Amino acid sequence: MGFLLLLPILFPLAAALALCLRPLRAQRRRRAFTVAALALELGLTALCAALAGGTLPLLPLAEGLCVTFGIDGLGRIFSLLVAFMWLLSGVFTQEYMADREHLGRYHVFLFLTEGALMCLCLAANYLTLYLGFELMTLCSLPLALHTQTGPARRGGYKYLFYSVFGACLGLLGFYTVHTYGRGTAFAPGGVLDPAKVAGHEGFVAAAAFLAVVGFGAKAGLFPLHAWLPAAHPEAPAGASALLSGVITKGGVLCVIRVVYYQFGAAFLRGTWVQYAWLALALVTVLLGSMLAYQEKLFKKRLAYSTVSQAAYILFGLALLQPTAFAGAILHVVVHSAIKDGLFFTAGAVIEKTGQTDVRALRGVGRAMPFTMGCYTVLSLGLIGIPPLGGFASKWLLAEGSLASGIPVFGWLGPAVLLVSALLTAGYLFPITVSAFLPGADLDGTSAPPLEPGPWITLPLAVLTALTVLTGLFPGPLADAAAAIAAALC
Amino acid sequence: MALVQNFPFITIVFSLTCGVLCAVLPGRGAKRLCLGWLALTTAMSGAVLRFTLTTDGSFLYRMGKWGAPFGNELRVGVLEALMATAFSGVMLLSLLGGMRHIFADCEPGKVNLYFTMCALLMSSLFALIYTNDLFTAYVFVEINTIASCALVMLRSSDRTLVATTRYLIMSLLGSGLFLLGIVTLYGITGELLLESIAEKVQALFAAGQYSLPLTVIIGFFSVGLAVKSALFPFHSWLPDAHGSATPSSSAILSGLVLKGYIIVLIKIFYRVFGLEIIVSEQVSRFLLLFGVLAMLVGSVNALRERDLKRLLAYSSVAQVGYIYVGIGLHSELGMVAACVQILAHALTKPMLFICAGGFMDVSGGHKDLAAITGAGLRDPLGGAAFSVGALSMMGIPFFAGFVTKLELARGALEAGPVTLGITFAALAVSTLLNALYYIPIVFNLYTRPRDGAWAGVRQRYHWEYAAALAAFIALNLGFGMGSDWVVGAIRRGLALFGM
Repeated sequence: MGFLLLLPILFPLAAALALCLRPLRAQRRRRAFTVAALALELGLTALCAALAGGTLPLLPLAEGLCVTFGIDGLGRIFSLLVAFMWLLSGVFTQEYMADREHLGRYHVFLFLTEGALMCLCLAANYLTLYLGFELMTLCSLPLALHTQTGPARRGGYKYLFYSVFGACLGLLGFYTVHTYGRGTAFAPGGVLDPAKVAGHEGFVAAAAFLAVVGFGAKAGLFPLHAWLPAAHPEAPAGASALLSGVITKGGVLCVIRVVYYQFGAAFLRGTWVQYAWLALALVTVLLGSMLAYQEKLFKKRLAYSTVSQAAYILFGLALLQPTAFAGAILHVVVHSAIKDGLFFTAGAVIEKTGQTDVRALRGVGRAMPFTMGCYTVLSLGLIGIPPLGGFASKWLLAEGSLASGIPVFGWLGPAVLLVSALLTAGYLFPITVSAFLPGADLDGTSAPPLEPGPWITLPLAVLTALTVLTGLFPGPLADAAAAIAAALC
Repeated sequence: MALVQNFPFITIVFSLTCGVLCAVLPGRGAKRLCLGWLALTTAMSGAVLRFTLTTDGSFLYRMGKWGAPFGNELRVGVLEALMATAFSGVMLLSLLGGMRHIFADCEPGKVNLYFTMCALLMSSLFALIYTNDLFTAYVFVEINTIASCALVMLRSSDRTLVATTRYLIMSLLGSGLFLLGIVTLYGITGELLLESIAEKVQALFAAGQYSLPLTVIIGFFSVGLAVKSALFPFHSWLPDAHGSATPSSSAILSGLVLKGYIIVLIKIFYRVFGLEIIVSEQVSRFLLLFGVLAMLVGSVNALRERDLKRLLAYSSVAQVGYIYVGIGLHSELGMVAACVQILAHALTKPMLFICAGGFMDVSGGHKDLAAITGAGLRDPLGGAAFSVGALSMMGIPFFAGFVTKLELARGALEAGPVTLGITFAALAVSTLLNALYYIPIVFNLYTRPRDGAWAGVRQRYHWEYAAALAAFIALNLGFGMGSDWVVGAIRRGLALFGM
C-alpha cells in the first residue's frame, strides 16, 4: 500500500493548486473549501497511518540517492499531529482573518506548508528529510511575511537566514552519513558503518553535533534561537500558532531522525556531543523562560516561551534514554496543543481589544470569559500542574534524566526544569490574574462582551480538552512513544 | 574514419564562416543563419558525444592530416563533446531568449554584427574545448576576448563603453600572462602539442631541472586565466561588463565565456603538468583559497547590490569560485565537481539573465530591485524560471545546483581535515548568502506594487522568449534529477584525460 503515502503529501499541493487556479473570493465558499480540504487531509493522513506500510522509492536523484517515503510509529504520531493542528488553525483563521487582505495567498501557502511538513514526517531517508526541511522553510516563509510590515519583513528574513544556515549544517550531516554509513535510509539504532568510521570518530561526532545544532535552529535551540521571537509574533495568529506549535516540531523530528536513525544513540552516548547538546538545551530552557518573563508584548512572550519549551523536548532527546524519549514525544504533542491554543487566545484578544501589551489586558477576562478561561487551563498545562498535559511529559523528562546516570546533567536537568516551570508560571499566570481580577478601580464596572464567534472558540475548546485529556490519560501516547524508544536507545 | 569524427573540425571552421556570412547579411537574415547554424552545431556536437560514449574512447583529429610539429590537432573525448553540446545549446537558447532586446539595443544596421560576433565566439569556444595545441588555444583565446568585448559594446551607451574598456584591459592583461606562459614553456620544451609538452615536462621534473621556471609558468597560466575568468581578486571588471550589456550578452558571457577559459586551465593542469606536479607546486591551495574567497566576496557584494543584473553578475563571481574550489581540491572527485558546476552554472545563470531581460520589459526598462516588484505576476513564465534559477542557486534537491553541492562535498570529504573544514564552511555560508539575496527577490517578484506606484505592463510573449525559458527550466530540472548520467559521462571524460 505504498502509494497511500503520497496522498497526504500530494493532496495539500492539489488543494493549493486549485486555489491558485480558481481563487475563491466569496468568503463562504473559501471557508467551506478550506475546512473541507483540511478535514479531508486529516482523514487521508489517518488512512495512511492506519493502512500504509513499507517504503516508497520515488525519484532517484543520483546513485544511492532517492527520494523515498515511508511511515513508522514516529511518522504516524507526527503526521497526525500536523494534520490535526492544521485543521484547527484553518478553522480559526476563517473567522480571525475574515476581513484581512491577500487571503488567497495565505491559504495557498497554508496548504503548501502542510504538504512540505507531510513530506518531512513521511521521509524515509536523509535526503528526503532535507528536502522536506528546506521546503518547509520556503513554504512557511510567506506565512511569516504575510502582513508585509517592516518588522514582519525583518523577522521573516531572519527566519530564512537561520533556517537555511541550519539546513546547511544539516546537509553536512547528510554528506557525513552518506560517506561513513551504509546508505542513508532511516533505521532504528543508526546506519553508521564502524569499519568506515574507524579513525574518523572525531569528525563524524562533530558532524552529528552540527546537524543537531542546525536542525535544532528550527526549534529555537541556542545559539540559533534569535529568529524565533522575531518571526513568530509577526505572523497572523493562525500562522504564529502553526509556526510555534507545529513547525518547531518539524525541527525536533529532524533531530530525532538524524540522531536516533542515522548516527545512532549508541555512537553519541557519553561523548562530548551529548554533553554539549545537553548544555545547550538547558541554557535554552532557562534563557527562553527568562526572556519570556521580562517580555511585555503578548505574542512575543509566547514566542520566547516556545524557545524554552522546545528546548525541554531537545533536552529529553539529548539524554538518549528511553523514558526521557517518551517524555519528549509526549511533550511534542502537549506543547503543540497548548502553544496553538495560547496563540489562538492571544490572537483573539489582540484582535478584539487591539492591545498587544500584556499590561493593558486588565479586566479582559470579564469581556471574554470563555477565551480567558481556556487560556488559564492551557497555561496551567504548560506550567505542568497535574492533572493537565504538561505534567505527565515533564515528569517523564525528569524521571528519565535522573535514571540516565549522566554525571551533573542527570540532576541539574530536573532542577533547571523546575526553575523554568516557576518562571513559566511567572510569565503566564499574571495575565490570568489581571484579566479576571483587575483590581479595585475596575471592580464593578461592566465590560462589553467581546467573546469571539464559534470559529475561534471551537478550536480553542478542542485544544483545551486535548490538554486535559493528555493529562488525565497520557498512557496510550506514552506507551506508543516508549515502544518507539525501546528500539532506539 | 567515421563521418562524425569530422564534426568538431566542421563546427569550428564553419562557425567562423558563418560569422563572415553574417557580416554581409541583413539583420534578420543573419539572425536566421546564426540560429540555424547553432541548432546544427548542437546536433552535431550531440552526435559526437554519442559517438564518444559508444566507442568509449577519445580520438585525435589532425587538420590536413599533418603531424606535429606542423600540424594542428583536435582531441575529442567524452568531456569535450559534452561541454561542446551544452555550450552550443545554451548559446542558442540565450540568443533566442534575448532576441527582442538584441534588436532593440543594437544600433539599426548593426544587428548583423551582433550575430557575427556570436558566431566567432562560438567558434572560439569550440576551439578552446577541442584544441590539443597551446598556440591554437592562445589564438582562440584572443578571438574569444575580442568577440566578447564586442558583445558588451554593441549595446550603445556610455556605460557599456566604459565597461568594455575595463573588460578589454583586464582581458588583455590575462592574455598577455597566458602568452608569456606559452612562450616560456616553448622556450624550455620546444613543443606546443599538449602530449609532447607533457612528456618533456615530466622528464624535466623527474630530473629536477628548470624547477623555478616551471613554477613561474604554472603561475602565469593560473593568474592569466584566473583574470579572464574573473576569479577573485580579479573580478572587478565583471559586474560592469555583465551588468550593462544586453541580456543575451550577459547570459553568454556569464554562462559560457568564463567557462571556456577554465576549461583551458583544466586541460593545461591535467594534460600538461599532471596532478602530482600541480599538487607539489601548491597551486591548488591558492586556487582553493581564492575560490573560497570568491564564493564569499561575490555573494556579499551581490547582497548589497540593488541592480538586478549587476547582482546576477556578482553571483557569477561567487559561482566561478565554486568551480575553482572544485579544481583546488586536487582530486578526481573535485574535478568532477568543477565540471558539474561548469555545466550547472551554464544552465542556470543564462536563464536568470534572460528572465532579468523579461522583467525589464514589463517594468518600463528598469532593472533595479524596487522597480521589478510584481514582475513575476506580470510575466508568469519569467517568474517561474527565475524561481527555478533561485532554488537551483540555493542548491535545493531536484535542481541543478544541488548536484554541484553534492559533488563538491563528496570531493571535500576525501580531502584533508583543513580543506574539508574550509570547503564545508564556505559551502554553508555561500548557500546561506545565496538564499538571502535570491529568495527576497523571488518574493518581491510576486508582491503587488504599492498603490499609486506604476503597475508596469503585462508581458507580451514571443515564442522565442517563451521557448528559451521553457527549455532552460526543463534542462535545469532534468540536470537536477538525471545527474547520474551527466556525472557518469564527466567521470569517463576525465578518465580519458589520463587522470
